[in-house]
Amino acid sequence: MDFSYKEKSLIASLGVTLLIFGWYFYGVFSTLSLEPDPPSIVTIVLLIIWVVVLESCIQGVLASRKQGELEGELEDERDKYIEKVSHKYSYHFLTACLWFLMVQSLLDTRFDASLMLTTSHGLFHSLLLCFVLSEIIRFGTQLYHYRRGF
Amino acid sequence: MSQQALADKVGVTRQTILAIEKDKYSPSLEVAFRISDEFGVALEAVFTYQ
Repeated sequence: MDFSYKEKSLIASLGVTLLIFGWYFYGVFSTLSLEPDPPSIVTIVLLIIWVVVLESCIQGVLASRKQGELEGELEDERDKYIEKVSHKYSYHFLTACLWFLMVQSLLDTRFDASLMLTTSHGLFHSLLLCFVLSEIIRFGTQLYHYRRGF
Repeated sequence: MSQQALADKVGVTRQTILAIEKDKYSPSLEVAFRISDEFGVALEAVFTYQ
C-alpha cells in the first residue's frame, strides 16, 4: 500500500495515542471496581511526556525520509476540508460524552447510586477517556477520508 | 504533464490531484477552473457532473 506523508503521520499519531493511553486505561479500568485508583499527577505528566517524545521521534524520522518532497506537501483545500470534517465528528463525540457524564452525575446525586464512571476518581478517568477517544476519532476520520475520499 | 507539475501550477498538493483523478475528491470551483485553464480547455471538458 502506498501511503502519503500525511497518512503516515496520522497513523503514527494514532498508534502512539492508542499505545500510551491504551496501556494507561487498561491499568485504570481493568479492575472494574467502584473506586478506581486515584489519578496521579506524576503518571499523567509522564504519559504526556511519553506521547510528546514518541511523537517527536516518529514524526522526525518520517520527515527526514521525505525531506526533498515535503515542500510539495503543504496544506491545501482538501487537507483543510478533511480536517474540518474530522474536527466536527470529534466535537460531536466529545459533546455527547460530556452530556452523558453530566446527566449520569446528576442521576447519581438524585438517586444516590454510583456508577464507576461518576465516582470522584472515576469521573477524572472518564473525562480523560472521552478526550482521548475524541482525539482517536479525529485521527481515524482523517485517515479514513484520506484513503477513501468523499 | 506530471501530477506534481499540475499540482504546483494549480496550487494544491500532488495528493489532491491524485484524489481528483481517482474521483475521490471534488475540488472547489476555483481549483476546477485553474485546472481547466492549465489545459486550455473549457471546464466541462475536464469535469462532468454525475
